[in-house]
Amino acid sequence: MTQLKQRLSIEYDAVIQKNHVFLLLLTGLSIFALLSMLLAVGLGTVKIPPDIAYKIIAYKLFHLNIDNVMSQVSPAYMDIIWQIRLPRVILSAVVGAGLAMCGTVMQASVQNPLAEPYILGISAGASLGATFSILIGSASGLFFGLGTAFWAFIGALGASFFVLVLSGIGGRMSTVKMVLSGSIASALFIALSNLLIYISNDAEGIRSVTFWNMGSLAAAKWDNLMLPIVGITLCCLFFLFQSRTLNTLLLGEEAAITLGINLTKIRRIYMIITALITGLIVSVCGIFGFVGLVIPHVVRGLIGSDHKRLMPATILIGAIFLTWADVLARIILKSGELPIGIITALVGAPFFMYILFKQSFDFGNK
Amino acid sequence: MDLELKNINVKLGDKNIIQDISLAVAKGEFVGIIGPNGSGKSTLLRTIYRIIQPNSGMILLDGQNLKDVKLSESAKKMGVVGQFNSVNFDFTVLDMVMMGRTPHKSLLGSDTPADYAIAMESIEKVGMEKHANRSFSTLSGGEKQRIILARALTQQPQLLILDEPTNHLDIKYQLQILSIVKSLGISVLAALHDLSLAAMYCHRLYVLKEGNVITSGIPNEILTPKLVRDVYEIECDIQKNPATGYLSITYYPTCRHA
Repeated sequence: MTQLKQRLSIEYDAVIQKNHVFLLLLTGLSIFALLSMLLAVGLGTVKIPPDIAYKIIAYKLFHLNIDNVMSQVSPAYMDIIWQIRLPRVILSAVVGAGLAMCGTVMQASVQNPLAEPYILGISAGASLGATFSILIGSASGLFFGLGTAFWAFIGALGASFFVLVLSGIGGRMSTVKMVLSGSIASALFIALSNLLIYISNDAEGIRSVTFWNMGSLAAAKWDNLMLPIVGITLCCLFFLFQSRTLNTLLLGEEAAITLGINLTKIRRIYMIITALITGLIVSVCGIFGFVGLVIPHVVRGLIGSDHKRLMPATILIGAIFLTWADVLARIILKSGELPIGIITALVGAPFFMYILFKQSFDFGNK
Repeated sequence: MDLELKNINVKLGDKNIIQDISLAVAKGEFVGIIGPNGSGKSTLLRTIYRIIQPNSGMILLDGQNLKDVKLSESAKKMGVVGQFNSVNFDFTVLDMVMMGRTPHKSLLGSDTPADYAIAMESIEKVGMEKHANRSFSTLSGGEKQRIILARALTQQPQLLILDEPTNHLDIKYQLQILSIVKSLGISVLAALHDLSLAAMYCHRLYVLKEGNVITSGIPNEILTPKLVRDVYEIECDIQKNPATGYLSITYYPTCRHA
């Protein structure tokens, strides 16, 4: 008995120790995320010395007029930093966090390591909704600011439902069926939204096809930023408190139910929230894939599957990843900028392949 | 904790899997369900642990209709060791067992030393304490089974439902697991394959065939060569071993191979 007590205290000490280390890691990641965002503001096609960039931000945020920056700096620099770069960097961090979180939650709630808004066609559904709202809505003047995001949400929700039903046909949902259903949803919804754009015969719209299909954070402005920031932050908070449930979901349907989780209800709630995030994201920056796949997997590999750790770490690393991916998108070409979807796909597709091979097509459907 | 089933019917697709089964487990009683493959043992248990909804009939847990009890409430009282324990994502053994605390925890509640104590004690009970920090996926089938039992024990249930808990285990751990479970003194309902083990551990047995209860009662009284012939379509000899006091069952080879 004393032996047991001893071992217990050792185990518990180890747990406490592990938690301390993890808190340190989180603090480090948070600092790194903030630093990344600050650095990212200083980088871009127009070379603006970083110190000037920070002085401008300090002035705008706190009205600190360091070295009399207001009289020294041209208004153009001011606009680039404050109106273009800063909103964009903030958006990229928020979207990165949101996508990574979506991937983590979807993977847990369908117990499928490949679930992610892009692969499952949820993003494509959101894009169809957004396209519909822009083309129909702007014509009828029915929808204002909220309109696009709302319709993107409806599209994402529809797509989630479609994929879940389709992959559940003929018994158990398997990984293979789910990925296939995702491909079907993707192909179908992208075709439909392209069709809408072409029949609307709108030159502006046709140009934006590229935008929807490859994603871009260039549209970030202070006034379209608030909705994603508030929405994604709230959802992040919600899921940070769901770690216990998320862990239980990973054990499989049957085990989750025997541990008291109301699977049907929980899945429905999670599906609605992930659709909401996807809708918000797609309505401001179009579709781009794989962030929700790569980040959770990498983080899981580093710190394990426990969502108490996984969730905050994925959110932070997602933010950091997309901040840098967008910097790359902005500076890699001399002539202009690259759609960010190209970068995430170049990173994500090989990774997708790696997961497939690593699992040697054994998806645990035994 | 007592469990009572009243006239349970379960249909999967067009097929009647469970037909009008009534069954009871009294407080502290170890009750076994035996029957050939496909007789509906698992389906019956899955109905009790709420994976499947019965088409008609009632399940009472401590006199309360299970339909009216929240899943999170019944999970505090009922622990389950099921047959399907493959996991796509990896956890350490300790993390896995700690999940047994889930039904007792609120969303924001953190794990206390008491929770870890309960988990470690359960791990100790199944003899896996040396492996607490290993990853679950590296365990053998039998070790996994024991960890799942430890997780169920961590729920501190008053009723344990076991679906062929000794499936992947060698004889030592078959005996060990059933002994652990019996020593807890809580109510147990277990589907078992091995008739000798069932006779050794169970206070009472229900015999299932094609979704019906053929007979039920005290093992020594109901386990006869005739019953085994009727249910399993094999011949055997059943004697009470005077040295051990347990039933000893010897099977005859089926005709084709004899």
